[in-house]
Amino acid sequence: MIERWALVSGLKGDLETYELIQSELKKARGVTALFVLGDMIGPERNCDALLNRLQNPRRKELEPQCIYGWWEEQLLTEQGFRGEQKADTLRLNQGEEVVSALLNAVDPSHLKWLASLQFGFIELDCGLIHGSSADVGDNLTSETSPLILLDRLTRLAINRLFTAHSTKQFHLELTGGGIDSQVKDLNGQHQHQQKVSKQSIIGIGAGASYTIYDVGSDKTHFLTAGGQSNSKGKGFA
Amino acid sequence: MKHAVISCLHANLAALKAVLNDIDQNGISDITCLGDLVGYGPQPNEVVDLVRERAITSCQGCWDEDIIEGLNACECSYPSQLAEKRGHLAHEWTAEQLTDINKDFLASLPTSIRRDRILFVHGSPNSQHEYLLPDMNAFAALERVEKAGADTLFCGHTHQPYVRELKNGSIRVRLQNTSNHNAEDKEINLPMRKIVNAGSVGEPRHGSTNATYVIHDDVTGEVEIKEVAYDIGLTCQAIIDAGLPRIFAWRLSHGFEFAEQAEDASHVCER
Repeated sequence: MIERWALVSGLKGDLETYELIQSELKKARGVTALFVLGDMIGPERNCDALLNRLQNPRRKELEPQCIYGWWEEQLLTEQGFRGEQKADTLRLNQGEEVVSALLNAVDPSHLKWLASLQFGFIELDCGLIHGSSADVGDNLTSETSPLILLDRLTRLAINRLFTAHSTKQFHLELTGGGIDSQVKDLNGQHQHQQKVSKQSIIGIGAGASYTIYDVGSDKTHFLTAGGQSNSKGKGFA
Repeated sequence: MKHAVISCLHANLAALKAVLNDIDQNGISDITCLGDLVGYGPQPNEVVDLVRERAITSCQGCWDEDIIEGLNACECSYPSQLAEKRGHLAHEWTAEQLTDINKDFLASLPTSIRRDRILFVHGSPNSQHEYLLPDMNAFAALERVEKAGADTLFCGHTHQPYVRELKNGSIRVRLQNTSNHNAEDKEINLPMRKIVNAGSVGEPRHGSTNATYVIHDDVTGEVEIKEVAYDIGLTCQAIIDAGLPRIFAWRLSHGFEFAEQAEDASHVCER
């Protein structure tokens, strides 16, 4: 049986785009799960309608499995769900007015649900996280050092990491390589060579740009709601 | 020039005196300490006083941080509830014993010290609580050094001294994104980097009861791991006299700390 996952992020309160994606998923073959990798909220618009819909999916619609993203982290921090901290990074980088806009964009009745969301999912040998295993705001792109990418995979002992924070769509596969490690201690000297196993980092996009992952064939499809497939590269689509 | 690096003194005065004596005999005056001056051991004030007297450049360890900040580390730092309970007992005892001057001194310590391309930290550049064990994934270990912008990283925390060279590294990648329809292949060569763990002066866990430290020659790059015997009985008796858990004396006299080795050494406490 075909098993495919749909991966969405960065909707930032855009119910219209979410409905468009849902309607496309109904027509797509074999999509069995919908993962929403955070940033359901943002300061640009009121997010209550989308949050209501995510918590109360319609019949015959894929039930979204949500985790929190960077914007949720800012809201929860500002609202006192992260100890004594406040959303200082957001305040410093984007100003007090953006903090206020974020607070106004989400009705406090949604906070309990948002606070209940997990940092990420581990499905099969895949990690599904807004940023990375290091941080919800980790900005992984195709330009990020492969050494850092390998570290993020190693921290969770996974073979594929689906990330969203950069908003980019990309599939970067680690195809090989190695490193020599020589350890000297009081018992003598030991040499070891470590190889790079085949692992991937997949940027799933944001907003209308979303990704379908074919679990059986390990192929990734980059799509835009209302548009064409963004990539059908060899070995990836 | 040669300099000595010590770590994890853990309020063990006899061990510290023996190590400093050994360093003096080697004609070395430049000493760097990687933290954990206190915790577990029975002479926190005496050890901090001696470090201050000798003007030893130090960074802050996880125990030093916890004494100042309160217990920040979550239960993930301990492999069992029993070990956690003993750790909390030692924490409370140490916090009671330390003078305000010595607490202020620990609070003033930096989390890292940089000398050109050499970085000194307690655990890792990420956290005072992260263990860089000698068998840690080599790429992840290299990432810690590289991200910190260092050629050589000195650390402690594991209580196991070692020198690890990471070299001849490369990673091949294949990239597909929305702007290129053909996959792009490339190979990245990784730089050679070194991690030096100074072991522990006050609570060795390398299989022997001797204190350990390292001597680094910054001209040749050579690192010598040193083992120093000290009067363990003196410290064990002081542990018992202070009313600290007797197991702290037992493990010092056996050179192994079976009870306190974390199951997931790579875990970083986020609290």
